Amino acid sequence: MQGYIYPNEFELQWSLLIVLYPYLTGLVAGAFILASLERVFNVKEVQPTYRLSLLTALAFLLVAPLPLLAHLGHPERSYEIFLTPNTNSAMAMFGFVYAWYLAVVLLLEVWFDYRKDMVLWARESRGVRRWIYYVLTLGATDISEKSLRFDDSAGRWITVIGIPSAFLLHGYVGFIFGSIKANPWWSSVLMPVVFLFSAMVSGIALVLVLYMLTTMFRWRKIDMACLDKLAQFLFYALVVDFSLEALDFIHRLYESEESIEILRQLIESRLFISLIVLQVVMGTVIPLIALALVSPGLKKGGFLRTPPELRQIIYLVAAVFIQIGIFSIRWNVVIGGQLFSKSLRGLTVYKVELLGIEGLAMTIGLLLLPFVILWVLVKLLPPWSDGPEPDTPPASG
Amino acid sequence: MPQQVPRLAAVFAVAVIGLFVARSLLVPDTFGDLGHYRAAAIDTIVAHPKEYAGHQECTMCHRPIAEQRAASNHRGVRCEVCHGPAAAHVANPLEIKPAVPRERDLCVLCHAYSPSRPTGFPQIDSVTHNPRMPCAGCHEPHAPEPPVTPRECSACHGQIANQLAVSHHAELNCGTCHEAPKEHRDNPRAVRPTKPAERSFCGTCHAADARSSERIPRIDLRSHGQPYVCWQCHYPHYPEAR
Repeated sequence: MQGYIYPNEFELQWSLLIVLYPYLTGLVAGAFILASLERVFNVKEVQPTYRLSLLTALAFLLVAPLPLLAHLGHPERSYEIFLTPNTNSAMAMFGFVYAWYLAVVLLLEVWFDYRKDMVLWARESRGVRRWIYYVLTLGATDISEKSLRFDDSAGRWITVIGIPSAFLLHGYVGFIFGSIKANPWWSSVLMPVVFLFSAMVSGIALVLVLYMLTTMFRWRKIDMACLDKLAQFLFYALVVDFSLEALDFIHRLYESEESIEILRQLIESRLFISLIVLQVVMGTVIPLIALALVSPGLKKGGFLRTPPELRQIIYLVAAVFIQIGIFSIRWNVVIGGQLFSKSLRGLTVYKVELLGIEGLAMTIGLLLLPFVILWVLVKLLPPWSDGPEPDTPPASG
Repeated sequence: MPQQVPRLAAVFAVAVIGLFVARSLLVPDTFGDLGHYRAAAIDTIVAHPKEYAGHQECTMCHRPIAEQRAASNHRGVRCEVCHGPAAAHVANPLEIKPAVPRERDLCVLCHAYSPSRPTGFPQIDSVTHNPRMPCAGCHEPHAPEPPVTPRECSACHGQIANQLAVSHHAELNCGTCHEAPKEHRDNPRAVRPTKPAERSFCGTCHAADARSSERIPRIDLRSHGQPYVCWQCHYPHYPEAR
């Protein structure tokens, strides 16, 4: 502790789990927006990641409310936000934003996209698996050309609705923070927009990593056109995200409200590592430079001509750095906003507990859970259409 | 109509109807009558048995103590804050007695050191401040008086004063051990205050035959640490002995 703080500011109320929540929803929104690139904007190169993006968004969306439930306690009461909706509270409307996105957008889009396959798998499978697929089709087993055209058209429209919905989902999370007018670190109309673009960055980076790893572990050749395109969009999203963050920062500096001094102290002391080192340098500047130099999407062949193998490693490292940077953004917003006193005269400290319902172990568990769900989803609804997996790795050369 | 439409419509209809059925079954009747809560909750709360009597009731029988407290630093701390709810005691004064707290964990609710408390508020570190001793053994809770460091000392020696305040020697004033000539305030470096020069000075409380409280640690002055003066080994503003 340093300087003067009010008694109720000594202990932070929003813990590591509340850092995790916007991080997870950001990945959901980002992964979905990536999927919509192929579906709505017809970017054919990223087609290999379309279904993977949808399943990734679904897996992370299923876990997204769990940090909130663990943080608030009494998960058995959570259904009450549906029964007695409080329209005056943005937080209380989360259930509806979430339910809309899950049921009307993601599940429907996955369903329309997989319906034909599920019908075929139900016909080919035996035993329980056959019934699972049959139940998942809801009995709609018509796969005539007309019916499939309807699936395609419906899926496209849902994606069109889904893009503003994804904006709503993550913009909503930014809105929660941006609308807290008593906190100068949060209160900014740019907050929902910044959240949105950082969500796109994190979602694209995550799908890029997942696409590379799943392709490698299936002993398949990575589609470099797809990877280059992903890297190109990742670069664009990162540029916009960084510009918005810089705009927000410069705006605060120029405005120089009375909070500027304590925010300066906050950045120079408590948030130096997580903001300057991790978020700006590691999570933004290094990936920006790396992607700008090697991405062939920006200049034919890239500013530095690199063999595909090296480019893959650079993309992978850049995407992992970006994930660390985006997690740091969430940390800097959520924890940073509680580290300084509303008196603007003091700073407190936050120590992460290891065990316990809001501890590090719980956070790691909730961070790994989407990957377990994704693994189950991938087993149930394989997102790739390149035939059965070979038993052995292909011979090199 | 494509086969998918009625199937999906049925699923969504089940979900929406389920929501409305759940609402009709689970939302209490009086919810929303007065605000975003169950209005009947007020009646439920009113029906709770009364447990607190209020300090006016205490004053009627315990006037001397109430007056002592009303004039003390604890004038804002009402009787039932420490003694617990006393409605039952008021109803049956002879058979039901309120709690007389002796545990240290009650006082530290307000007096444990916390960086967010005002610095002038009396605070202690309960781990080092006379461990296991009940607070009321030294401090009269109805008229507590915090140990006072002379303002003229703490103005310059604030760090020592703060450390002393949380030590076993908290109740000793600076003047107990030091004689500070008036000139020391005008010319602090040229005119120094005294320090105890004899071992027997600390022995007043700590010698084996000293006539002081039994809780104070004792030593044999003839054999312990000769030929040093006590403060050459023990820091008297924060003595380590328990």
